[in-house]
Parts: sequence; C-alpha cells; structure tokens
Amino acid sequence: MEKKPEWLKVNYNKEAVEEVSGLMAKLKLNTVCKEANCPNLGECYKKRTATFMILGNICTRHCRFCNVSSGVVEAVDPKEPQHLAEAVKELDLKHVVITSVTRDDLEDGGAKHFADTIKAVRALNPGVSIEVLIPDLKGVNEHLDVVIAANPDVINHNVETVRELYPEVRPEADYDRSMHVIRHVKTKAPHIKTKTGIMVGLGETDEQVYEVMDDSLKAGCDIFTIGQYLQPSQKHIDVKAYVTPAKFAEYKKIGEAKGFHYIASSPLVRSSYRAEEALEGGKSR
Amino acid sequence: MKKNVQMPKLGEQMETGVLAAWNKEAGEVVKKGEVLFEIETEKVVSEVESMESGVLEEVFFEAGDEIKVDEIIAVINCD
Repeated sequence: MEKKPEWLKVNYNKEAVEEVSGLMAKLKLNTVCKEANCPNLGECYKKRTATFMILGNICTRHCRFCNVSSGVVEAVDPKEPQHLAEAVKELDLKHVVITSVTRDDLEDGGAKHFADTIKAVRALNPGVSIEVLIPDLKGVNEHLDVVIAANPDVINHNVETVRELYPEVRPEADYDRSMHVIRHVKTKAPHIKTKTGIMVGLGETDEQVYEVMDDSLKAGCDIFTIGQYLQPSQKHIDVKAYVTPAKFAEYKKIGEAKGFHYIASSPLVRSSYRAEEALEGGKSR
Repeated sequence: MKKNVQMPKLGEQMETGVLAAWNKEAGEVVKKGEVLFEIETEKVVSEVESMESGVLEEVFFEAGDEIKVDEIIAVINCD
C-alpha cells in the first residue's frame, strides 16, 4: 500500500461509531458514510451526525470512483421516510443531509421517495434544515420538480469530476445533464440553495477545475465543494495525485473570487462534510 | 483488570489493516480517548483512540505489520 500523505489522517473512536451504527441498524437505515467507507465517518459519528442514504444500498450505475455496491436493487421501503425522521429526532440533528443511490429502474428515479422523506423529516422535526444530495433523476424536469416542491433548504447534485474525465470516471452520467439539474433547480426555485462538488486527484488540470466552477456558476450554483479522491479498493480508478492542502486553499480563493457564496475545499472535504457550516456560509452572501 | 485491544474494523470490506504507528510504548500510561495507535487502510490513516485508561502492558505487533480485524494487538492493565 502506498504511504499516505501526512494530511490524510482521521480520528476513530469505536464507541461513537458503534453508537450511531447501532441506531441505523435498529431503524433499518443506510448511511453513505458506511457504504462509501467515508474517511470522515469517525469524526462525524463522534459528533452524532451522519448522511442518510435512502432507496436502498444498491446502485444501478457503475461509477468507477464509488464504493457503493452495484447490482440487483431492492424494493423501496415505504417506512423509510418515517424511520429516517425518527433517526433525525433521536440524533437531535439541526441539519440533515439525505442522499440516495441512483435508481434508474424507478420511473421517477426515486423523486417521490425523496419528497416523502423531506416531508416526514419536517413533520417530526420542525425547524430542522434539510439538504438533499440527489442523483440526476435522468435530467427529467418533472422528476426534479417533485423534489423541488417538497422545498428542501439545499439541493445538491454532484458533478463529481471535470467534463473531460466523464467517460473514465462516470461512464453512465453526462456532464451537461448534471449542469442542467443545477440550472433547473435554481430557475424553478431561486430560494433553494444549490450545491455541487468535485473530487480532485483524478488527473484533471487546474484549467479544467476552473471550467467546472465557471459552468456551475453559470448554472446558478451557490455552494461548491472540492475534496481529494481516495481509492476505495484496488478495483476502483487509481488516484493520480494527492493534491496538497496549499492547492486546495488556492482553489477556494479562486472559487470565492469567481462568485460562489461558499466553497469548502480541503483534502477530506466530502459534499456533505460539515454541511451545516456550508449552508450557513452560503446564507451569508 | 486487563483489557485486550483489538484490531478495529474501520470499513465494511476491511479484513486486514496495516499498523502504521504506536503512539504509546509498552509500560506507558494511556488515558481513555488518547490516540493509542494508527492504522493505515486503503483511503487514509486512522488515529485510533484508546477505549480504556491504564498501563499499556504488552504490544504484540510492530509498525508495518498487517493485522486481521479483531486480532488482539495489545493488553491494557486498567488496575
């Protein structure tokens, strides 16, 4: 195993991880923290926060960076919205992030289930802010509108990488379709904060990163996240470079100058990492 | 009372991990919550906190060793 740079160090507290994992198991909920083998799981679980993953833990796409399993999907659990709302209450979350696997097998891509979940969380936890990290829902406006109508505080859709690396990194996705998702949300509901993010270290150039920033801004994106791609296993796409903290700081500075309301940029940033801070930062502009 | 320290399972698919470093030496006092050792996995290096307070009595592995999940890697004397 190649030696990791000094800045890729995280904390692990067994008791904290087991406490949150136990709650998720009890309520039959999935977290992307666990499924993606997120490096921040220890820190987030210690703070009793997690990013919920709805619509099962099997994905219909095969992105080469992602640790979530692909294959035969499960039936949608109609009790999931209520269970998730209960977990939010039990963890006493002030801000909840809800994501999902991509469900190209469902007619609406899972849009209604997202909306049901947002409504259930709101009903049981008035005052909580809600961020959804959605798949592209096939880029269909009617499906996006179902999620928009449920009125979450933030709609995030990750572009994940630069346009040029799509065939290699996200073969079943489309850069322009992802930009369309952000544009449609902002056009339809300007009050909802829009958010996207990319991984770096996949072989992209600085110019390509700035092009994603420009495209995202043009689409109406408010919050932008940048983090280091980390290879989940030897079967996944290789890390081409460990980007230094200084370079991440440079990306942040340039991105802010370009006009984003908020940019989170550092090696261990993931799109939902410290999402509450990003939302607060995004509101201040 | 003596408590075993086991190799933690840091991810769903993790079967083994590489002991990157000990942050305490045998014979040293360790407090609950202090970083006891570091484990290198596919993605990152994890600083693993001690679950016990006591004296690190014995360590069974050295930095660089690849260790199976749940294997006993050290003993803490909590008396």
